[in-house]
Amino acid sequence: MVYYLLMCRSLTYAQRTAKILERAGITAIVTRVPQLLSSDGCGYCVKISSKNISNALVALKNAELYPVKVFVLYADGKYGEVSL
Amino acid sequence: MIYLDNAATTLIKPPGVSKNTAWAVAHLATPGRGSHRAAMDAAETAYQCRAAAAKLFHVSDPENIVFTFNATHALNIAIKSLVRRVDKVIISGYEHNSVTRPLQAIGARVMVAASELFEPEMALHAFERRLSPDTALVVCNHVSNVFGYILPVERIAEACRERRIPFVLDASQSAGVLDIDFEKLGAAFVCMPGHKGLFGPQGTGLLLCARRPETLLEGGTGSLSLSADMPSVLPDRLEAGTHNMPGIAGLLAGLEYIEKKQTKNILAHERGLIEYAADNLIKQDRVRIFKSEYGFCQSGVLSFIVEGIPCEAVGEALSERGIAVRTGLHCAPLAHKTAGTVKTGTIRISVSPFNTKREISAFTSAVEDITRELGASYPAR
Repeated sequence: MVYYLLMCRSLTYAQRTAKILERAGITAIVTRVPQLLSSDGCGYCVKISSKNISNALVALKNAELYPVKVFVLYADGKYGEVSL
Repeated sequence: MIYLDNAATTLIKPPGVSKNTAWAVAHLATPGRGSHRAAMDAAETAYQCRAAAAKLFHVSDPENIVFTFNATHALNIAIKSLVRRVDKVIISGYEHNSVTRPLQAIGARVMVAASELFEPEMALHAFERRLSPDTALVVCNHVSNVFGYILPVERIAEACRERRIPFVLDASQSAGVLDIDFEKLGAAFVCMPGHKGLFGPQGTGLLLCARRPETLLEGGTGSLSLSADMPSVLPDRLEAGTHNMPGIAGLLAGLEYIEKKQTKNILAHERGLIEYAADNLIKQDRVRIFKSEYGFCQSGVLSFIVEGIPCEAVGEALSERGIAVRTGLHCAPLAHKTAGTVKTGTIRISVSPFNTKREISAFTSAVEDITRELGASYPAR
């Protein structure tokens, strides 16, 4: 499975992001940012399935919520930053 | 016990409050401190509480709802974010020590916009004629904790907006009772306790933020840990250290109760009880009440004195009969100076949705008995 990680500026922002996505019918999991991806120390992100990324970004844009960064998490455990 | 000290802390809470609090003690860890179940459940509870507060007070973004220990904590953050030494600050004549003491500690130049009790037009005028371009801040309480006087804060805030002067609202006595529209008000900050009209446990408070606040405490937030500085984003910026999750979970139940009950119904109930108490007390010899002749500018608080009998003696006699009231200056000497009661203080009753007419009747009868009993020792002047 391939996932996207939407990096958020705070836990509360991540929760708000997840609520908006859930409301749009997209399953969203609030989770810790893997240390590998965190340049600032601890943080939270929202994890969604790769098939939902386009709809998720539209829903977030409509709600005026913007992730700090977006990473793709491949099935082999490797990460890559996605430019939006 | 007949509990009539709700302006200090509501003691009778909706049942969900103690249930949530006990559940939190057993099940919730700290938000932002892990991805395990107990931490994530705590995060969800905290978010629900912020979202419920955001809905009640018309705050568009739950991130701008900050948990504090109480209203005093929130007021200290708000005031210390906006005021420096010798800054000019205008306050109403009915402020609590939680406003006046931080201003004194900073060394601000405080101007009191004093005006008569239950005269909202005069209050507005008193503020307007003191506002000037060098005013750093206006702080006003929504409802006087001593007299239940509802100040015209929407109009005072409007006058501040027109002059681009930051406005801070102390909603200690109004949150959960009066409508507060944060967006419309345009306040820099609104400060409130969680443990009064919002029915949370003690140790809870809320700060609604429209401006970037300065930190009062620094420490761990579970975010941006590599930085030596506090995060710039809310609520993390102001929430250093472990959260009071039992308090927050209880506060959530209180907010849910208010949403269901609605503030207009709570206010109507409380006003009805105060009217009833006033009608009974005013007939009694030696009793002087502080009651507005206009219902719209008084909430569920009523102060009174029994001429010649110390307030504390009346309070103790009521306590012996199982009736809890507050006596003295109520941590608001400025309000007493403004109203002319600083030498005597007052006896204050403050009601909640859980008080009944029967309780008020028992209270007013008790006052009549006490006046008769103590009257011999304290003859009328």
